[in-house]
Amino acid sequence: MKTKLKYLAYALIASTTITACKRDEVDPITPPPPTNEEELITTLRLHFHSVGGAEHKHMEFTDLDGSGGNAPVIHGDTLSADSVYHVHVEVLNESGSPAEDITQEIEAESDVHQFFYQVSGASATVAYDDADANGHPIGLETVWTVGAASNGTVVVTLRHQPDKTASGVSSGDITYAGGETDIEVSFPLVIE
Amino acid sequence: MQAQESSCTLVLSGHVIDDHDKEALPFAEVYLAELDRGAQADSAGRFTIAGLCAGTYRLRAVHIGCEPVERTVKLVASMEILIRLEHHVHELREAEIVRSRPDEHVGQAHEQLDKDAVERSSGRTLGEMVAVIPGVTTLNSGPTISKPMVHGLTGNRVLILNQGVRQEDQQWGSEHAPNLDPFSSDRITVVKGAAGVQYGSDAIGGVVITEPVELPRSGPLSGEVRALGMLNGLGIGGNALLQGGVKGVTGMGWRVQGSGRSMADSRAADYNLSNTGMHETGASASIGFRDHRWNASAYGSWYARDLGILRAAHIGNLTDLQNAIASGTPWYVGEPTREIAAPRQEVQHVLAKAEAGYAVSERGRVALTYGYQDDERQEYDIRRGGRSDRPALDLHLVTHTGEAAFKHWIGKHIHGKVGVSGLYQENINIPGTGIRPLIPNYRKQSAGAFVIEHYTITERVELEVGFRLETTHLEVAKYNDSDVLIRPEHRFLNRAISAGVNWSVRDSTRVRFNLSSAFRPPHVSELYSEGLHHGAAAIEIGDPTLGSERAYKSVLEIGTALLHGRAHASLTAHASLIDNFIYLRPSSLELTVRGAFPVFNYVATDALISGLDASFDLRLVGPFTWRLRASTVHGRDLVKDEWLFQMPSDRLENTLVYAPRTTGKWRHLEFATTSHLVLVQERIPVGVDLASPPPTYHLLGLSASASRPLGKGELRLGLRGSNLLNAAYRDYLDRFRYYADARGLEIALWITYRFGSPN
Repeated sequence: MKTKLKYLAYALIASTTITACKRDEVDPITPPPPTNEEELITTLRLHFHSVGGAEHKHMEFTDLDGSGGNAPVIHGDTLSADSVYHVHVEVLNESGSPAEDITQEIEAESDVHQFFYQVSGASATVAYDDADANGHPIGLETVWTVGAASNGTVVVTLRHQPDKTASGVSSGDITYAGGETDIEVSFPLVIE
Repeated sequence: MQAQESSCTLVLSGHVIDDHDKEALPFAEVYLAELDRGAQADSAGRFTIAGLCAGTYRLRAVHIGCEPVERTVKLVASMEILIRLEHHVHELREAEIVRSRPDEHVGQAHEQLDKDAVERSSGRTLGEMVAVIPGVTTLNSGPTISKPMVHGLTGNRVLILNQGVRQEDQQWGSEHAPNLDPFSSDRITVVKGAAGVQYGSDAIGGVVITEPVELPRSGPLSGEVRALGMLNGLGIGGNALLQGGVKGVTGMGWRVQGSGRSMADSRAADYNLSNTGMHETGASASIGFRDHRWNASAYGSWYARDLGILRAAHIGNLTDLQNAIASGTPWYVGEPTREIAAPRQEVQHVLAKAEAGYAVSERGRVALTYGYQDDERQEYDIRRGGRSDRPALDLHLVTHTGEAAFKHWIGKHIHGKVGVSGLYQENINIPGTGIRPLIPNYRKQSAGAFVIEHYTITERVELEVGFRLETTHLEVAKYNDSDVLIRPEHRFLNRAISAGVNWSVRDSTRVRFNLSSAFRPPHVSELYSEGLHHGAAAIEIGDPTLGSERAYKSVLEIGTALLHGRAHASLTAHASLIDNFIYLRPSSLELTVRGAFPVFNYVATDALISGLDASFDLRLVGPFTWRLRASTVHGRDLVKDEWLFQMPSDRLENTLVYAPRTTGKWRHLEFATTSHLVLVQERIPVGVDLASPPPTYHLLGLSASASRPLGKGELRLGLRGSNLLNAAYRDYLDRFRYYADARGLEIALWITYRFGSPN
């Protein structure tokens, strides 16, 4: 009985193998070459320019292969105590070449995007320095007022389709913003 | 009333036989319409209904594969009658595995929703329809998506057979509802056992079988039209059916059917559930011929659905999910609308089926079935740069299935079925999404051989044994992390056994016992998923080394009539051991530009699922009946010694039915009020779920239905109310319980006109 079953099994396997071989030259299940993930965000860069232009610092998050694969690299920077910086945000997809500037996409849809900056531990306050067509902040341009020397973190969040009119949102409070998160990166913030 | 009660001691008993060969018809249902009471014949076709009052009753006898018979019985004293059923139809039925006679499920616990029960569920999804059966629940993703769950198992572990063809429609996704039109079925059967021998892979938890009634063989036109309105979601819907014979060609019949349903946003108790509208359309047509030797039929159906996904359930990262859980209210609530915006799904499913049968002798019949399915699924996400109109997931699944079976008798007592079956499937990601596919392209081929034999030992005992061997070949084509095309292949060889017994202990007591197995090769999603699952805020990683799941399930069902037929009790105990049970286990955190995400890996363990389903019906005073349904399921991970995630919690349903005698022209009057209690799930694994299970909830429901003759047909009316107290609640088996409450007060009204009667 057992050998019979074995033969039956072989016969079944053989039958599927035979049909499997009757394949055209181009197998319909072969996928076309992969294209770039268009909406992938690989790079978030914050450019800090001190008022007067003496200092140029930057913070950067890069994960060139997206989620999975290699771990992302986070680079913080040291800000000078008791100074004021203009900060400009750059968002890129550098998975392909040439890199794609996602900042432009965010600008084009500025009414449904907003950056939030949550500082903890360090002595710094962030104020918006831009506005969408409705007069609500976007957060691509901000002004950072840095206080005494301290250590902490800043969490940079980009929300897609937030409720920009909700309580506190226009002054940078994320609590009632809603929407979904496209970016959430925590940078070390050192003030010396 | 007292006097009447005391004289209600008459007994109606008898035999149900096949009008042609005079053989007994086992397990026919005999039913007294006025009393809403009946009995099921035993394996020898005998039935008994006790505790009857003197009077005139309309008796209806039904047997699967037979046209129902109605006759009037004048009861003055206890009497015995003979009921003959036309069983021609049955010969055609044998050609299809789906249209199985009860004895094809020997020992298997199964329950059926008939045409009237399906009608009463108008406006519900397939999952919601079958969830009235104890032990059957649904896994939901908001108010529009529900998947049937049998004894705690769902998705790829519950096989759906639509018109005799295994439904292939991307059922691996928990937010993928079955793509079929519930209106196209007149009868839905749920088999609550492992049925790998009968149906091949995936029938681990059970099988949901949807089937239409027989095509007419001759005669005039008949049909029905139904209109449906729903308060919650301002839903409208309808169904139309027309069927008839062909003049001059005896044995030939046809049927066309079409339906549609459209809903705006649903409403929870306290707020609008934004973007939960849905539109669905279905149409089917069939034609068939049969005589004593031959039968052949063709069936085609088309189904399309466009549905919105709760806006507030679309989140970007783990923080969003945690915020949603902490806030307790959806972050987005808009004005109710019929418009459906992203995130949304569009599906289309085409089924074409051809079958033929030929009686090679009096004792043998060959049956061939071929099915073709074309399933398209597009999922639209909220995207940047105007890409919301481009599908984020675009899958095309084509499946061919075939079966050849030989049904036979061996001697006087043994009959059975032996056959082969095959499946060929291709899954293609349509390019253009701009996103790496969630599951890769693949080709799946499987071939199986099976034998099932039934042995009637005595009039009261019937045995079943069966065996199936099935091989599956899976070819996958995908680009790996380094963008190199890889073509891994997998082969799986599985077998299933089944052994069952039906035992009529006494005329009033029936026992079914079944020990059976089922199997399921891992799905491509479990082998090769690699990416972010947006709804769950989790990264899911497949494991290409996973092997097949193998389940062994035993089910014991005891049904008995008590108190001289006034009461009927049924108890189903089940236990299944699943080797290599595949599930998602959290393993680590991964940092991405959207923050840290938990990583879930597909891993295998051994699981033990056991439980009880109970039902009890008691005829109270006069036209009142009390129904009780209860079920409990316990799922354990035997390796980790822990509870399984997403198992149904204990539930209890009490119904009081008032079915007065016919008044005037109104017939089939029935009013029922239902209390539905779902307890909090306390059997949960540690560290898998971000939110604790929602608390116990209680829902109140109401239904009313009646019919009356109108012109040459019958007018039927029904009203169904659920969550009458507009309770704000969330269900453990709703994946959107993190984001919003479930649907609030719901009232549905339907009106049907049936005309002509097929013969």
